[in-house]
Amino acid sequence: MRDTSRPVPFGRAARGVFDLALEGMVWSRRSVLMAVLVGLPVVIAIIYRVFLPAQLKPRLTPFELYGGLVVFVYLRNLLPLVALFYATALVADEVEGKTLTYLLTRPIRREAILAGKFAAYVATTLSLALPAVVLTFFILLTSRGRAGLGGAVPDLLRDLGVLALALLVYGALFTLLGVLLKRPVIPGLFFLFVWELVANLPGYLPRLTLTAYLRSLVRHRPAEEGISEIFGQVLPSALCLEVLAAAVVVFLAAAAWIFSTREYVMEQ
Amino acid sequence: MTRSRLVVLSSLVVVGVGVVGALGALYLDPARAAVGPLPAEGLALPSDTRFVLGFDVRRFVDSPFYRRFAGDRQGPGRAPAFVDLEEKTGLNPERDVDRIVVAGRGTEKGPEGGIVLASGRFDRTKLSRAIETQTKGVTTKSHGGTTVYLFREGSRRGAAAAAFLDDDTLVLGSQPSVEATISNHAGGKAPLRANAGLVALLEGVKPGATFWAVGDQSVLSKLPLSLPAPGGEGASVAIPPVKSVVVTGDLDPVVALEMTGEAADARAAQNLADVVRGLVALASLQAGQRPELKELASAVSVTTDDTRVHVNLRVPYELLDSLAPKRPATSSAEPSPGAGR
Repeated sequence: MRDTSRPVPFGRAARGVFDLALEGMVWSRRSVLMAVLVGLPVVIAIIYRVFLPAQLKPRLTPFELYGGLVVFVYLRNLLPLVALFYATALVADEVEGKTLTYLLTRPIRREAILAGKFAAYVATTLSLALPAVVLTFFILLTSRGRAGLGGAVPDLLRDLGVLALALLVYGALFTLLGVLLKRPVIPGLFFLFVWELVANLPGYLPRLTLTAYLRSLVRHRPAEEGISEIFGQVLPSALCLEVLAAAVVVFLAAAAWIFSTREYVMEQ
Repeated sequence: MTRSRLVVLSSLVVVGVGVVGALGALYLDPARAAVGPLPAEGLALPSDTRFVLGFDVRRFVDSPFYRRFAGDRQGPGRAPAFVDLEEKTGLNPERDVDRIVVAGRGTEKGPEGGIVLASGRFDRTKLSRAIETQTKGVTTKSHGGTTVYLFREGSRRGAAAAAFLDDDTLVLGSQPSVEATISNHAGGKAPLRANAGLVALLEGVKPGATFWAVGDQSVLSKLPLSLPAPGGEGASVAIPPVKSVVVTGDLDPVVALEMTGEAADARAAQNLADVVRGLVALASLQAGQRPELKELASAVSVTTDDTRVHVNLRVPYELLDSLAPKRPATSSAEPSPGAGR
């Protein structure tokens, strides 16, 4: 018999919240929209494979197109957006739906609620993104037979790791924004599409962005034009991993602290 | 199991199957080389090798570059040297040679230290007979059971040598280098692995490149350390020393060249990148006379990565055509056979 005067153990509580949150996240209209977005590169890969070589003289090899899709589409745009729309909603949806009370009145620690929800976010977004990347890779890299496929495999493995890391770090940041702000989406969009452009500036400023560290970890270096090309810099891999890991820990710790101490008043 | 967990599990299965399939492709890749792009027989090269460059002949012959610039490969436009070579030896380099690897040894060995490994499908009998009967002053000797053909034996520069490492690999070079390679190969030795610096550079070569080259500091030390400055009057621009260089190139679908040079430190790398950017800027200044040069300059991108400088060049074939000297149109300008009579 459980001692009802003490809260449910952290692990059990987080797992329970995880199950509940996963059910809500996977079967939602948001997931349908995100699946369509994340599936776009797969469609581009199919179009390239089926139509383009016959119609147009391709300027890009399949591997270059794959690299471009990973860097510009997944890493720079799609996955940060996916993280923004899921992670900012982890708590905000409960507040908006006025269902947070039901969670907070349970005998579970608030950190366990956030941990379970964040784990559900990670499981959902990885389930959406990684199969799409694998499919894009195989559709493009097998378009000229098996030649060159083996040589590109280390890049696929690296890309999968970096994209998973991108979902983690952006997810942690937007979870923090979600517990900190009432309307976190606009500041999140500002961060993604204004602040992150600082990554293209010279000097030390790119180190204040997340994208500079993430794009330094992938090996694809698509040619850029203009200022980006002139000032493009690649940061050392060890530094990138250290900074990104620290960012995940700091953002999640801050989010957990704010969530556990904040007073939520449901509007009637 | 809930429906949501089933979805997550299905996704994991897709990723897992993909990763296992990809690893299988990596393991079974027929082009999988011993170290980076270097074939297994390349490991028999001497450990004091200072640079290695490779050339994938099959990719080159299949490339749009070759189709554009080599003319009619099998018809009357074929190079006479190739026709002659095939008649005498049965060897058609475009058809029979798969890959060429050139290695250079320490600078103290001079040009005599060079070794060439050619892999492909050779008619050994016909090729051996051609060497023996049609080459002047050739002698043979056996080295560890392998026949070595010696050319210019007794000359001051030393004899050049050629031998079959196996049915598919021909080795050419100076006699000591060829004999050392044969001994290493026969003994199953891989002395090149002892050259950790060069092996590390080889492992960094982009897979599947049509041509590639790696070299260490001893080769690059011969390069000039300054360039004449645009102002003239003895002014010069210092080039920071480069510790190693890796070059890879592709010819399909565009001519692409990727060079990575490693400088002593991040500041030297930045300086080197600035020098390259300056040269590119100079090229674009010539655009007033030749606008296509501006396009060529914009095809170059220079980035730095800590102590490394990456230079990428991507030139579409249309641009190459515009840079090539214009040939007079023969069909319309040529007088008809009956004209002028």
